[in-house]
Amino acid sequence: MQYQSELDRQGLMELAIENYFASVDAKDVDKALNCFHDNAMFTVQTAFTTHAGKAEIKRMLEDFTSAYEKIVHRDFEITVDSKNGRIAASFIAELTDGDGNTTLLQNTNFWRIRGSRFQEVYVYMSGENPLT
Amino acid sequence: MKTMPYEYYVDIVTKRYFDGVDNYNLEKVLDCFHEDAVLTEVTSQTVHNGRDEGIRTMFEGLFAAHSRIWHGNFVHTVDEESGAICSQFSVEVTPQGADSELRYENCNRFYLVDGKFQRVFVYMSGDNLLK
Repeated sequence: MQYQSELDRQGLMELAIENYFASVDAKDVDKALNCFHDNAMFTVQTAFTTHAGKAEIKRMLEDFTSAYEKIVHRDFEITVDSKNGRIAASFIAELTDGDGNTTLLQNTNFWRIRGSRFQEVYVYMSGENPLT
Repeated sequence: MKTMPYEYYVDIVTKRYFDGVDNYNLEKVLDCFHEDAVLTEVTSQTVHNGRDEGIRTMFEGLFAAHSRIWHGNFVHTVDEESGAICSQFSVEVTPQGADSELRYENCNRFYLVDGKFQRVFVYMSGDNLLK
């Protein structure tokens, strides 16, 4: 579906990278959730898993942030379509568990923005899905 | 680096590249790539180097293995400023000798230089078809 976005190029990048991913890395679930509409959909396409609505997304983010000691998203390559309110980014997700084991994923996210928040998010992963 | 208009990116991906793939037109497909292009299937970490070497061999294998290939339901994220298009789409393929089709929900990231693909990254929702 095509949505009307209120964000320009800079605004789209701030929402996806500085607000969303920085909040996930800081384990600030409430701040990360503030990037989503109440009826947003979050789909891990490579695992055919969908989290519908803010409550399900909150549960998923709480489980994800509590499962790892340290979460770092880095090395972003960002593609911005401000005309259509869409942004995509490839990145490395570096996940370190309590025993010091590190998982590296090379993922790509797609965000579709309605107004100034995420309406749809799609994640494509290089490995096993930790967003269950 | 030349800057291309928005529609150029959508056209090269849909009307040239995927149209060539779906119609088994290998030369049309390869014409979208620079000679030293690299195509990476990220979900299996398979790298195909060179338009006339690894990428050609990969498509020869894909075409030989399937009696039908279809790409559709596209949603594109186009960035003229960085010369990139990231596309989400559905894929239906029928393996040779099979009665039923396989369905995938994939994405590709295409990075262009002077109007042709320099780097392509593929994510697949199932087993890697691009071996």
